[in-house]
Amino acid sequence: MNHRITRRQSLKLIGATLAAMMLPSVPLLASTGGLRQKLPPIGMGTWRTFNVGSDPTLLDARTEVVKTFFEHGGGLIDSSPMYGSAPDVMGYTLQQLGTPESLFSAEKVWSPAGGSAREQVAELKDRWNVEHFDLVQVHNLTDWREHLAALQEMKAKGTIRHVGITTSHGRRHSEVEQIMTSEDIDFVQLTYNITNREAEDRLLPLAAERGIGVIANRPYDGGRLIKNLKRRGESLPEWAQAECGCSTWADFLLKFIVSHPAITCAIPATTQVEHMHENMRAGSDPMPSADARQRMAAYIESL
Amino acid sequence: MNDWASYQLQDFIPFTADIYVRLLERMGETFWPLHLLTLALGAATLVLALSHRTRLACLLPAPLWAFVAIAFFIQRYAELNWAGGYVGYAFISQAVLLVLIALTEFGLNKAPRRSSPPVIIGTAITLFGLIILPLMAPLTGGSWYQAEVFGIHADPTAITTLGLALILLRGLALWAAAIIPALWVLISALTLQVLHATGAAASGAVASGAAVPGAVALFTVLAFALLGVVWKSFESQSAR
Repeated sequence: MNHRITRRQSLKLIGATLAAMMLPSVPLLASTGGLRQKLPPIGMGTWRTFNVGSDPTLLDARTEVVKTFFEHGGGLIDSSPMYGSAPDVMGYTLQQLGTPESLFSAEKVWSPAGGSAREQVAELKDRWNVEHFDLVQVHNLTDWREHLAALQEMKAKGTIRHVGITTSHGRRHSEVEQIMTSEDIDFVQLTYNITNREAEDRLLPLAAERGIGVIANRPYDGGRLIKNLKRRGESLPEWAQAECGCSTWADFLLKFIVSHPAITCAIPATTQVEHMHENMRAGSDPMPSADARQRMAAYIESL
Repeated sequence: MNDWASYQLQDFIPFTADIYVRLLERMGETFWPLHLLTLALGAATLVLALSHRTRLACLLPAPLWAFVAIAFFIQRYAELNWAGGYVGYAFISQAVLLVLIALTEFGLNKAPRRSSPPVIIGTAITLFGLIILPLMAPLTGGSWYQAEVFGIHADPTAITTLGLALILLRGLALWAAAIIPALWVLISALTLQVLHATGAAASGAVASGAAVPGAVALFTVLAFALLGVVWKSFESQSAR
C-alpha cells in the first residue's frame, strides 16, 4: 500500500491534530515504552455500519465518515473479523485518506474466523493496510486463554501495542472480572450506556483500580436508544445545556458515558457524516459532574 | 445473565438497511437489461404450467436459481455475511432439484386444475412474485434499480418458485421443492424486519421504510404458500 500523504492531506491532518489538541483527552493508563498515551473520548465502532463489501458508492460514503472522524481528531477505531468486510473497508478508507497520527487501530481475534491469533492478526493487518495494531482484543472471550497468551507474546515482541478482551450486552461479566483480576490486560471492552449500567457495580471500579482502559460499546444500545428518543420527539431537559453542555441527544447519551471516570472512550457507529459530527462534538467540554450524571440517568428513566 | 437469552435477531444481521438496499440496487445496475429476459422466462413458465406443459415449466426456473446462487449470494451477499455462501449452495441445490423433478417427472402434476384452490393460490403467488414485488421498491420511494426481479434477486425468485411449485407439484416433490424457497422467504422477511427496527440513519430511514411493507408482504406470501401446500397435500390424500 502507498502510505505517502499528499500536501492536501497533510494540511488536513495538521488541522485534525489541532482539533485533537482542543478536545479533552481521557488519560489512557496503559502505557508503552514509558510514554503515556491519550485517547480522545469518542472513538468509532464499525459493527454493521462498515460492512459494505465492494460497493464503490458505499466505500466512498464510509470514507467520508472516517474523514470527518479524523478531522475532529478522532482516535480509536474498533473492528473485528466478525464484522464481515469492515476490516477491508477500513483498509480502503486509510488508503484514500492516509493514516493519521491520531489513529488508534483496535482489532480483535475471534475463533470462528479460523486460524491462530497470530495468523488472524497478520491477515487483519493486510486488510487494514496498517503496519501494526495499537490494540488487539479477544472477541467475546472466545478461547481467551489461548488467544490472550498469544497476544501477550506479540505485545512483548512489539508486533501489537496493547491487548484486551471484549464482551457486550452484559454477557459473562463474572468471567470478565476474573480475567481483569488475574491477567495483565490493557483494555476491556464492554457494554455501558445510560440504560445499561451493570458495569458500574464491579467492572468499572476494578478497571480504575487496576489501570485498565475501558472501551464502552453499544453507547446507543445498538441505535435503539437514540432512535426511540428522536422518534418520540422527546426533548432534552432544560438543565442539560447549562449543566453538561448538551444540545443534542447524542451529546446527552455520549457525555453520560465518557464522563464516568473509569471510561476511556465510547465507540458509537454511524453511516452518516452528520451523525459523526454530532458524535464527535459530544467529546468536548463541559462534561457532566457526578451529580449531573445521576440526574441524567434519572431523567432517562422517567421517560 | 443467560448468554443465549441475551441474543436478539439483530445480532445475526451484520449490515444496515442502506447496505442491503445498495446490494439489491447493485444487482439491478449490473445486470440490467437481463431483467426483461428473466421476467419473460417467468411469465412463460406460468403460462406453460397452466397449459399443462409442466415438465418444461419445472425446468425453466432452474438456471435462474443457479444464476441467483452465484451472482447474488456467492459473489455479493457473502461479502457481507459469511452465511451467504451457504445460502448460495442451497440455491444451487434447488436448481438441481428442479432439474431432477423435470427429468424424472417425480411428483409432477401433469394437468393442474386451474379451479383448484392450491393452484389459484399458486397462480396468485407467482403473479405477486413476477409483477407486484418488483414494483414495491419504486412505489415506496426507491429507485427502479432497487426493483427486485425474478431471476435476478433472491426474494422474487423464491416467491415465484413457491407459486409455481403449488401449481406444478404434489406430494413429497411439492414439500421438497418448497422448503428452500420458503426458508429463504422467512429469512428475508426476518432480515427486513430487523433492518426496519434498527434503521436509524437518515438515508437508512428511506431504506428501512421500504422494509416494513416488504416484511409484511413476505410473511403474508409465506402464510398463503403454507396454506396452499397443506391444502394440496390433503387434496392428494383424499384423491387416493
